[in-house]
Amino acid sequence: MLTYIVRRILLSIPILFGVALISFLLVYLSPGDPLAQFRVPNVRPEVLERLEEIYGFGKPLHEQFFGFITNYVQIWNPDAWGLSITHRRPVLELVVERMPPTLLLMGTSLAITVIVAIPLGMLAAIKQYSLADKIVTTFATIGYAMPSFVLGTYLLIVGAIWLGVFPFRGMTSSLSVAGDPLDIAWHLVLPVSSLAIQSIAGWSRYIRATMLEVLHQDYIRTARAKGLGANRVNFRHALRNALIPVITLFGLSLPALLGGAVITEGIFSWPGLGSFGLQAIGQRDYPVIMAFVLLGGIAVVIGNLIADILYGIVDPRIKY
Amino acid sequence: MAESTYEARRVQIEDTEDIDRTEVRSYWTLARQRFVHHRLAVIGAITLVVLIVAALVVPLIAGDTTGVSASRSFGAAEVISEDGELTLALLGYSRTGNNLFGQLMAATGTSLMIAFAAVLIIVLIGILIGSVAGFAGGWVDNILMRVVDIALAMPGLFIIIAFVAFWGASVWTVILAIGITGWTLAARLVRAEFLSLREADYVQAARALGATPRRIILRHMLPPALAPIIVAASLGVADSVVLEAALSFIGFGIPPTQASLGTLLNQAFEYLNRDPILVLFPSVVLILIVLAANFMGDGMRDALDPRQRVEQR
Amino acid sequence: MTVSSRHAGPLLEIKGLKTHFFTQDGTVKAVDGVTFQIAHGQTLGVVGESGCGKSITSLSVMRLIERPGKVVAGEISLNGDDLLKRSDEEMRDIRGDQVSMIFQEPMTSLNPVFSCGEQISEAVQQHTAASSREGMDRAVEMLSLVGISDAKRRAREYPHQLSGGMRQRVMIAMALSTDPDLLIADEPTTALDVTIQAQILEVMRDLRQKNRMAIMLITHDLGVVAEMADEVVVMYAGKVVERGDVRTIFGSPHHPYTQGLLHSIPRLDERVERLEVIKGTVPSPYNLPEGCLFKRRCPFRMPICDTAPPYRQIADEHFSRCWLTPSGEKPEVGEDAPSEEAEAAGDQLTAEPR
Repeated sequence: MLTYIVRRILLSIPILFGVALISFLLVYLSPGDPLAQFRVPNVRPEVLERLEEIYGFGKPLHEQFFGFITNYVQIWNPDAWGLSITHRRPVLELVVERMPPTLLLMGTSLAITVIVAIPLGMLAAIKQYSLADKIVTTFATIGYAMPSFVLGTYLLIVGAIWLGVFPFRGMTSSLSVAGDPLDIAWHLVLPVSSLAIQSIAGWSRYIRATMLEVLHQDYIRTARAKGLGANRVNFRHALRNALIPVITLFGLSLPALLGGAVITEGIFSWPGLGSFGLQAIGQRDYPVIMAFVLLGGIAVVIGNLIADILYGIVDPRIKY
Repeated sequence: MAESTYEARRVQIEDTEDIDRTEVRSYWTLARQRFVHHRLAVIGAITLVVLIVAALVVPLIAGDTTGVSASRSFGAAEVISEDGELTLALLGYSRTGNNLFGQLMAATGTSLMIAFAAVLIIVLIGILIGSVAGFAGGWVDNILMRVVDIALAMPGLFIIIAFVAFWGASVWTVILAIGITGWTLAARLVRAEFLSLREADYVQAARALGATPRRIILRHMLPPALAPIIVAASLGVADSVVLEAALSFIGFGIPPTQASLGTLLNQAFEYLNRDPILVLFPSVVLILIVLAANFMGDGMRDALDPRQRVEQR
Repeated sequence: MTVSSRHAGPLLEIKGLKTHFFTQDGTVKAVDGVTFQIAHGQTLGVVGESGCGKSITSLSVMRLIERPGKVVAGEISLNGDDLLKRSDEEMRDIRGDQVSMIFQEPMTSLNPVFSCGEQISEAVQQHTAASSREGMDRAVEMLSLVGISDAKRRAREYPHQLSGGMRQRVMIAMALSTDPDLLIADEPTTALDVTIQAQILEVMRDLRQKNRMAIMLITHDLGVVAEMADEVVVMYAGKVVERGDVRTIFGSPHHPYTQGLLHSIPRLDERVERLEVIKGTVPSPYNLPEGCLFKRRCPFRMPICDTAPPYRQIADEHFSRCWLTPSGEKPEVGEDAPSEEAEAAGDQLTAEPR
């Protein structure tokens, strides 16, 4: 298993390299001057020079790319990911700062999804063709078709405008003590709901499908022929098998923990990585943008790796 | 063992009723029949067609839909105006005098057009990369698959937003952005089909019977390879429409001066407190499109590859 | 463990069993009036082509038929006890304990995420008061009994680590771990190659002798039947067309279908230019002919075959569903009008199973 992990990590390096390359090209091939905001009439040329030096904008492309890569790898160095143009602070610092709210939002959503979708999907599959199944399937189809920002807007209208129960924006109310968990939880309700409902819809459809497939397998027939009861057959024999692809799904949802909520964070002004990234794009804060793309790539690579490891643990047929 | 009375008493069976007369139907006919069997898929298809027609026709009839007349009252629906014009203002007028229905339909048209164009790009790139990878195999396949891995590793939405922001918000940048980031699924599907088809028994059989390579590719390999593409395309339409709407919604899509479902939602969001109802119409159309495309996609998947059916028992 | 009180009379008695499938395209009468018995310790071979209803019959006995199928008529008596009237819980006690079943596809019949030992132990624990340790011990015991060497290690292995033949042995071990009175084996060797097949049959012969166990052996392979069976039942299109002692069936088959089956076996001691076949194909279940279901393919076809032939006794312990006389001649016109024995007992039973 260990060799497998090491091998996978080594294989990911070219992929991350490719991501870095694309990220770099995205920024450097696009029209516009990154330092435009600094070229105001009164600015001293030394400042501009210094800026160019820091950001390396003056040098030829391949040198810039090389510098970019070598810098990024040195994570122990706080300046490794460059300085944000708008905030004038190390990008790495800013990223770490804005991570917790996003993790909170996405993590809660993922947890709720897992807790709700698995029983729902199972129920629908076991009682196929029944009323319960039809309800779950209908809900899942509609929920899946509803984009999260539409749902978020609806929830905002109902929850914040009509009922006036939930707050509009942000993670905390300005009047409360920063970090009061109840206050944060109150603010979490709407954005998490808009994310979770859609993913519950998607997951339960998937779980139902895999469960149905498993229930029609020969070994389930064997289990019944042994005289095992319905519960044992469903929970022990069927679910164990049906969950295998679900675990992969879980692993693949991990990258979204970091970068998934761009739109939602925008709507609810949630102070996380997503809204930070949007701002950076709007402000042409290139170091931040590049860092984000690379961060996304790393998250995907790690998420895939975790998914494969989990898969290897859960399915005895896989031996690394 | 008894003597072969069987032979001695053989009787000619002449009844032609014994011939199995089950109709022989071609793959496409069967597929079409299976599709039609899916009520939801048919409803989805009809809905899409209706929407497309409406999107094309209504704006023509309703004419200029923006700021027509500030004198019209908000919310009052009408079909023909007092002046005798056929306005089709089924949803009334906005506070700035826009014919809401006409605007909605024009927006739908724009959104659909963007989605179809993006899907076209997705399918083309997907077929190109997928077929080359699947057909050639070996190191070519390896390299192409690494490219796909890289494309998959990147945060798609973020890159699309950045791309559109950097290169200027317009319909074309949005189409390009969605297309260039969305081809990975199509490529994988095509590659998978081609890889398995190379070794397929019936392909070998066709070769053994002396079929020319052209016949093999056109008649034996292409139809099964098309199936996942068609499915991916219909689901891709749903994704693209949502993507465009999301982009325009947060202001990083097509310019707000042009009407698309996303820009309408963006405007509606601004006036969320005052007239929340404005959110309803574009969002419902959006959901309808997604549902319709999803149903169609499911129906086509079942029609073209019935092996995947889980539920028909 | 076995509970049979060596009830006098047959171990298993099936009377007039009808299992129908209600599909969108019509009703398929997969099993349509099947009657036969199995005595204690006896091996009954159930023979027929694919689709004749033999598997469905066995699944009906185990009451494992799921929608759109349903047992619509008949009686299935195990030791005198009508299984169709038992509740779900009671059936669960019987399944795997008094009646065990093994299936055709050893590759997919075992759960891939549990070890072989665990799966056998599960059966044991379900039907006895054994602990998991005791269950595992029994599993190891059974595995060596079916000829798996190094049973202790094998018990901890997973199905995918075993070959097809070994998996089938595991299935047999699992089925026999509770000492059932009846083993239903549905095409146990069809998916295995010939040498493994011989080994599996050897295992089964061995065990049935040790445990005095009855076997319902379902197969389309006449060679297997000749080797293993005491009695044979031949099925066609959902009905029993002939039943008799194995020697009688092979020596003097009565029904034209049985004759056809036997004649199509290639012989090593004859030179032939062409192999014999039975003309035609099995009728589509949605489009069954009137009268005798075999008439379209039968070389002895007569006008009277448009009426369903009676299932009647041809000789001692030999039954056939055909208009031909016991000696195999076409009946004289007027003779042999359908008598009340038609469709032996079974058809007249309409008791709805529970």
